[in-house]
Amino acid sequence: MATTTKIGLEIHCQLTGAKSKLFCRCSSDYRGKAPNANICPICAGLPGTLPLLNQKTVEFAAMITLALGCKFPDDIAFYRKNYFYPDLPKNFQLTQYNAYSITSIGVDGKLEYGNGKDARIRRVQLEEDPGRLVYASGSMDTSVYVLIDYNRAGMPLVEIVTEPDFADPKDVRMFLDKITSIIEHLGVCDTKLEGSVRCDANVSIDGGNKVEIKNISSFADVEKALRYEITRQRTMASREIQVRSETRHWDDARKVTKESRTKEEEQDYRYFPEPDIPMVLLGSEFVSFIRQSMPELPDTRKERFMSKYGLSAHIAQVLIGNKELADFFESTLMIYLSPKEIANWIVTDLMSFVDERQKKEEDKQHLLFAGLKVGPEHIADLARLVDQETINRATAKQILGQIVRTGEMPSALAKKMHASRIDDASVLAQAVQSVFQMEQAAVHDARRNANVANFLLGKVMKITKGTADPKIALEMIQKKLKED
Amino acid sequence: MPLYTLEAGQVVEGIKNREFSAEEYISQLLGRIEKVEPKVNAFVTLNKEEGLNRARMLDKKIRDGEQSGPLAGVALSIKDNICTKGMKTTCASKMLESYIPAYDATVIKRLMSAGAIIIGKANLDEFAMGSTTEFSRHGPTRNPWDISRVSGGSSGGSAASVAALECTASLGSDTGGSVRCPASFCSVVGLKPTYGLVSRFGLVSYANSLEQIGPVGRTVSDVVSILNVIAGSDENDHTTINSNKPTYSLQERKGFRAGLVMEFTEGADPGVSKMIYNAADTLEKQGCKCEEVSLPSVQYALASYYTIATAEASSNLARYDNIRYGFDMNPEGYEWNSYFAKARSNFGEEAKRRIIVGSYVLSSGYYGKYYLKAHQVRSLLKHEMETLFKRYDVLIGPTMPILPFKIGERIDDPLKMYLVDIDTVVANLTGMPAISVPAGFADGLPVGLQIMADQFAEQTMLDIAYLFEQAAKVQRSPEL
Amino acid sequence: MVVTREEVKHLGWLAKLEMSDAELQRYTAQIEEIISYLNMLNTIPLEQVKPIAMKKKFSELRKDAPENFEDAVLGTRYRKDGFVKGPRMV
Ligand SMILES: [Zn+2]
Repeated sequence: MATTTKIGLEIHCQLTGAKSKLFCRCSSDYRGKAPNANICPICAGLPGTLPLLNQKTVEFAAMITLALGCKFPDDIAFYRKNYFYPDLPKNFQLTQYNAYSITSIGVDGKLEYGNGKDARIRRVQLEEDPGRLVYASGSMDTSVYVLIDYNRAGMPLVEIVTEPDFADPKDVRMFLDKITSIIEHLGVCDTKLEGSVRCDANVSIDGGNKVEIKNISSFADVEKALRYEITRQRTMASREIQVRSETRHWDDARKVTKESRTKEEEQDYRYFPEPDIPMVLLGSEFVSFIRQSMPELPDTRKERFMSKYGLSAHIAQVLIGNKELADFFESTLMIYLSPKEIANWIVTDLMSFVDERQKKEEDKQHLLFAGLKVGPEHIADLARLVDQETINRATAKQILGQIVRTGEMPSALAKKMHASRIDDASVLAQAVQSVFQMEQAAVHDARRNANVANFLLGKVMKITKGTADPKIALEMIQKKLKED
Repeated sequence: MPLYTLEAGQVVEGIKNREFSAEEYISQLLGRIEKVEPKVNAFVTLNKEEGLNRARMLDKKIRDGEQSGPLAGVALSIKDNICTKGMKTTCASKMLESYIPAYDATVIKRLMSAGAIIIGKANLDEFAMGSTTEFSRHGPTRNPWDISRVSGGSSGGSAASVAALECTASLGSDTGGSVRCPASFCSVVGLKPTYGLVSRFGLVSYANSLEQIGPVGRTVSDVVSILNVIAGSDENDHTTINSNKPTYSLQERKGFRAGLVMEFTEGADPGVSKMIYNAADTLEKQGCKCEEVSLPSVQYALASYYTIATAEASSNLARYDNIRYGFDMNPEGYEWNSYFAKARSNFGEEAKRRIIVGSYVLSSGYYGKYYLKAHQVRSLLKHEMETLFKRYDVLIGPTMPILPFKIGERIDDPLKMYLVDIDTVVANLTGMPAISVPAGFADGLPVGLQIMADQFAEQTMLDIAYLFEQAAKVQRSPEL
Repeated sequence: MVVTREEVKHLGWLAKLEMSDAELQRYTAQIEEIISYLNMLNTIPLEQVKPIAMKKKFSELRKDAPENFEDAVLGTRYRKDGFVKGPRMV
C-alpha cells in the first residue's frame, strides 16, 4: 500500500556560544551548578525587571538565518507568548512571532542536505528557554510537589521551523546532521552539551491529521520516534481508524510515542509585542557585518577541501560532516602538509578505532576521538614516515594500532621497531632463504626480469607476517639473486 | 516656622549650612507624620530608623566637610510600586504583602547617591490600577484638603503625603495620569516625563508602553530638582532615550503661545472649567498668548488607553503565581492549576477586572480589533498633537474634569471611574510630557492646571508652569 | 450580549483566576459594559494609520558580558536542596 508521509521539524538550539543569557547578565554556562545558583532578578521574573537583549544572540541567530538561506526583515521584534507553567518565571515566554508584519529574524529559507535533496525553512526565531522541573520521587504522578530550578531560565534558543518537506526518517536524520555541522561550524552551539539541541516533529500520512511529537531529547532518537509514529499511523489507517490531531510525547525508556495525558482546555497564547524591547533595526549594514563575521560553513569548507587539497567529494564530505573531524584534519595539515595522505589516514584508518557507540552518536556527550590518545601531531608524524618511505603502509597501520592506546609518537615507535628488525636480520635471512627454496621457478624468472623480485618480496613478507622491513628484505633478495 | 514646611532647596541649603541638622529635619517630619497620618493614610510602610540613620550619616558627612549631594537631606515618600532593596515593596497588594526586593530601582539608586532620604513607601491603588487610591489593601488615602474625599490616584499616597507636609517631595508613577490626577486633587505639582526620559527599571510594571516614574512636590522648583537627578538614559532599561543627561532650570521667560484644548474644558465640570479659564487669563496677563484648539481624536483616547493598559497588565500580572515570592501559601499537595488560581484569587477586584479585560482584548481573533486599533489611535493622537506643537509651545486644560469626590462614590461603577482619566491619558498615549500645577479652588476643593508639551520639551513646559505658579500664588498646604 | 458568562469563565481559566459564582456574575456585567465601550475602536477608519514603534540599533543592544548576581533572589520559604518547591504537576 502506497502512502505519502509528511514530516516537519521544530529544532531548538541553545546558543551556548553566547556568554550570557538572552535577556540578563547571568552566565549561559548553567550546567552542573547548584539549583537556582545561576539566576538574577531578571531571569527569575522579579517585579520591576526589564529584559535586556543580548547583542551576541542576535548576531548568532542572524548567522543561522544566513546559513539556512533565509531572508531578513528590516527590523525584528519580540512577542510575549502568554501561558502559565511552573517552569516559566514570568508566566509568558519572550519569543518571536510572525503576524501583521514579519518579525522573526529569518523567514523563507531552503537548505540542501545531501544527494540533491532540500527542505524549506519556514522561520528562524530567537526565544528564551524556561527553567527545569524535577520530580522529587522520580515521577510526575507520585510527587506531591515539583522541584524547580531556574538556572536554565532565559537561556537563548534559536528555533528553526521547517515546512513538512520530509518523507523518510532517514532524510530527517541527514538533515539534522547537516544542521548540527552548521551550528558547530558557526560556533553558536556546542551540540555535545546535554539538551543543547532538541527536536519536535510533526507527522501526517496520506493528508490526514497532523500529530506533534514532543520531548525527543536527542537528535539520535528523532529517527526512531518518527519510525514508530509512522508505523502507528499506518497501522491505524489499515484498520480504518482515523488519526487524531494531537500532541504525543516520546517515551525515551520504552521507545514509543505516548498520548499526552493532560487534556487542557483550548490554549490561547494572546501574543502581543513586548513593550520593553524596542524593535531592533537590522538593515543592509547589519547583514553585511554578519556576512563578514561569519565563520566558514561546512559546504564552503567541503569545496575548499576539494579544490585546495584535491580531496575526493566523498572524503571531503565525511570530513565536514563532523566539525571535529574537519578541524582535526586541518590541524594536522598545519604540522605536515600532505592532504590526501592525511585525509585517508583520518577517514579510513583513524575512524576504524572510534567506538561504534560514539559513531552512532548515541553518546554525543564526548568528542569522537575522546577515547583515543592521538592528536594531529601523531597523524602528521605518521604520514611523514610513510611519505619518506621510512616505513611501509602496513607497518604504519600497525604503529597506529598501538599509538591510539599509548599516545607514543609514531617515529619513536618506528625507531624501536627498526632496532628490533636489525636484531632479527638473521630471521629475515632465513626467511629469504626458504622463499628461494620454495619458489625456484620464480627465482629463475627474477634473474631475467627484475620485476619478479617483488613477487619474492611478497612471499617474504607473508612468511614474516609483515614484520620485515620491505626495503631491507628487497635489498637482501636482490643481493641473493646476484650471488647465486 | 516648622522645618517640615520647607521646600527642597531650603532643606538642602539649611542642612549644608548647618542651620539645622538632617536628623532634626527628619525627626520633625516623623513627628508630623505621627500627627497627621491617622487622618490621611498616605503611607504603606515607614522607614523611621533607617531614615534617621541616613540623616545622621549625612550630618557626619557634612561635619567632615564631604560632598553632600544635590538632594542632601531631602525626605521622599516613594510610591510602593518602586523597588527599594531590603525594604518591602507591596504594590498595595496581598500578592506582594511580604515582598522584599533584592535590588534598588535605578531612580532609587540615583536619589540615594544624591543624598535623598527615603522616609517611607507611599500608598497606591493595587499595582497602580485606579484613580482614587481606594483599591489599596491598606485602605484609601484621604484627601488632606477634605478627608472625606479621595486623594486621587493611583499615586494618592505620594500626593497626599506631599500636601500634608509628611515629606519634602515624592516619587509616583504615571500610567494614565497616576501622578497628575492626585497632584491635581491634592493641590500639589506632579510631573509625567516624556516616555523614555526616566528609567523604569525597578518600577513594578502595570502598562509598560505608557508609564513613567514622575516627581511630586509642593513647588515646580522641587519637582525640577528631583527630575534633574532621576532623568537620563539607563543601561538597565532599553526604552530610555539614548542621550546625554538633561539638566532643567527655572527661567523667567515670557511670550509663550498656549493652546487651550476645547475638548478638555467642554467635558469638565463647570467649576473646574471656570478655574481653567481663569488660569488662561493669568497666563495672558503674563504675556502669553492663549487660543482655543481642538484635538478631535481625544474621543477615542480612553478606549485606546484601557485596551493597551489592560492588555499589558494582564500579561504583567501573570508572574504573580506565588511560587518564587509572595504571601505564605504552601504549594505542597495542590494541583498546579488550582494552586495558581487559588493564589491569584487574592488580587483585588480592580486588578482582576483588568486582567480579564486585558485577556479578552488579546484573545485569538481580537488582537486586530482592539490592541492594534488602540495603537493606531496612539499614532493618530500623536500626529494631531505634533501638528498643534508647530503653532503652540504648550497645550493647556484641566488635569481632572471633576473635583475630588467622596470616598466610595464611584467605586462600584468601573466604567464611570475610568472616564475621569480622559484629560490625562493623552500624554501617556503619545509619550509626551505633562505637568499638573495647582490652579486654585472651586467650592473649596483643588483644581489642577495641566500643561502638556512636545516630546522632550520639558524645559518649556517647566518654564510656563513656573510662570503660572509665580503669578497664581495658590495656597500651598491645608489645615490638618 | 457582547460578553457571555462562559467567555468570562474561560478568560478566568486562561488567566488562572478563581472566581465564585457571584464574582463571575458581577464581572460579566461589568466587563460587558467595558468591552462595549472599547468597541468604539471598531468604528474608527484607521486603515491608513501605522502604529508607532520604538526602534533601537543593533549596536545599542546589551554587550555579551556575564556578571553574577550576588544577593538572594528568591523569597519563598518553600525550598528543598536549593530547588524551589512548586505544586503537583498532575
Ligand atoms: Zn539572570
